[in-house]
Amino acid sequence: MAWRFALATLLGGLCYLDRTAACQIMLHRPLVVATLMGAVFGNLAAGAQVGAVLELLYLARLPVGASIPPDDTGAAVFAGTAAAVASSSIGLDGGSYTALLLLSVPFAELGKVADRYVRKVNGRIAHLTAEAVDRGDLRAVEHGLLAGLTLFVLTGAVLSLAFSGAGVVVSKFLLPRFGPASRLEFSAILPVLPLLGAASVYSCSRTERTAAVFFLTMAAVFGATVFFRWAV
Amino acid sequence: MTAGLSPSARRSVWLRQFLIQGCWNYEGMQNVGFAYAILPALREFYAGRPEEALKAVKRHLEYFNTQPAMGAVILGASVRLEERVAAGEADPRSIGMFKVGLMGSLGAIGDAFFWGALRPMASAAGAILALVVHPIAGIFALLALYNATHLAVRTRGFAAGMEGQEGAVAWLKRAALSVRTEDRKLAAAVLGGAYAGTYAAHHAFLGGDAFHSSVLFAVGVGLIRLFTGLFRKAVSPSEILMFFFLLGVLILWD
Repeated sequence: MAWRFALATLLGGLCYLDRTAACQIMLHRPLVVATLMGAVFGNLAAGAQVGAVLELLYLARLPVGASIPPDDTGAAVFAGTAAAVASSSIGLDGGSYTALLLLSVPFAELGKVADRYVRKVNGRIAHLTAEAVDRGDLRAVEHGLLAGLTLFVLTGAVLSLAFSGAGVVVSKFLLPRFGPASRLEFSAILPVLPLLGAASVYSCSRTERTAAVFFLTMAAVFGATVFFRWAV
Repeated sequence: MTAGLSPSARRSVWLRQFLIQGCWNYEGMQNVGFAYAILPALREFYAGRPEEALKAVKRHLEYFNTQPAMGAVILGASVRLEERVAAGEADPRSIGMFKVGLMGSLGAIGDAFFWGALRPMASAAGAILALVVHPIAGIFALLALYNATHLAVRTRGFAAGMEGQEGAVAWLKRAALSVRTEDRKLAAAVLGGAYAGTYAAHHAFLGGDAFHSSVLFAVGVGLIRLFTGLFRKAVSPSEILMFFFLLGVLILWD
């Protein structure tokens, strides 16, 4: 298990780096992160299953200006790990699936708090950098940036270790405490979660032209899928 | 026409733009990242003039914030302006004015395009493919759809900026990002609708007859409208999810 945590920490740190500090090539998206964590903890498909729902949930919160959206990368680290571990113990039934998606919310908020703290510390780094440049040290700019990057990646690695650890604990010790009947009751909430994700996409893409297109496509796909399933 | 910058310095500046948010902070935002990105060019333009190099670096440690991918065009144009300042052809203050003048408007255009249209489109496509085809296909679609445009904007925007302010403005006109934003939003709406329809159909099918399915579809549409209304009233997705979590705890309590 130790090597799995080491790998999760390393991959998580890299994905977190992509989130703000470097590149932004979308390696930090929940679909990617949850699938990676699923693969590290033994079940890629289980990780992808939660990642596909988490991917859309927080899209409505844009990283504009100084606002920091919830940490969906952290939520994906937790949920992807927990889904993979649960699938090999109690199984990833509807109730466990719902519980993991909902339990990922505090991790998204915790990650946001950590992100805010890193940016505050970066303010101090930027201040020191400006002071060093005033003294004639041009290399301070490179050192300042390296310090900022290091802070981002270390925070990401620590969060990944903590959140994947929490995922294992929840799947091994918390979920099995609820019997199949309780989990079945909990799964009643499941249909709402993908709709919340779809609402996030709708909220982002909403214009006069696209509103009708969204609901027409939803109706068409709904009708075609239901008809096809009944026909078959 | 490109700036008189050596190919290695130009490559270095282009690569360093990917770290423009490396020291993001609340006071100067992307200031350290911008100064870091332009540093190889400044070293070349002010070689043997350390005092002027210092002044140039200080200019770029002023407050700066824009959408990171759109920063490429400002970076390219700033390199070109610095070259003119170093040659004594332009006033150093024009660089600050140019950056401040462009960062807000490009930030708004970039936020609407990248975060409001391109990312939802790529995310919805990735999520659907991950569920319907294979997780790897979903990840590939997400990364390819986003980065094909993202990397093109970074590359072409930087090259256009290196042609000077006029080149940057001409490229921004040609790029027609507002039209592309509308197109990507339309694609995101189609994919988001397909995603919602697939999930709603899955649960409707489990529900039973046609009447039941129609009711579930109407409930699905109503919920999407309700959530969208809540988002507009600044209710966070986390708050909605926490509400459902508490609802689940109450269900278990019974």
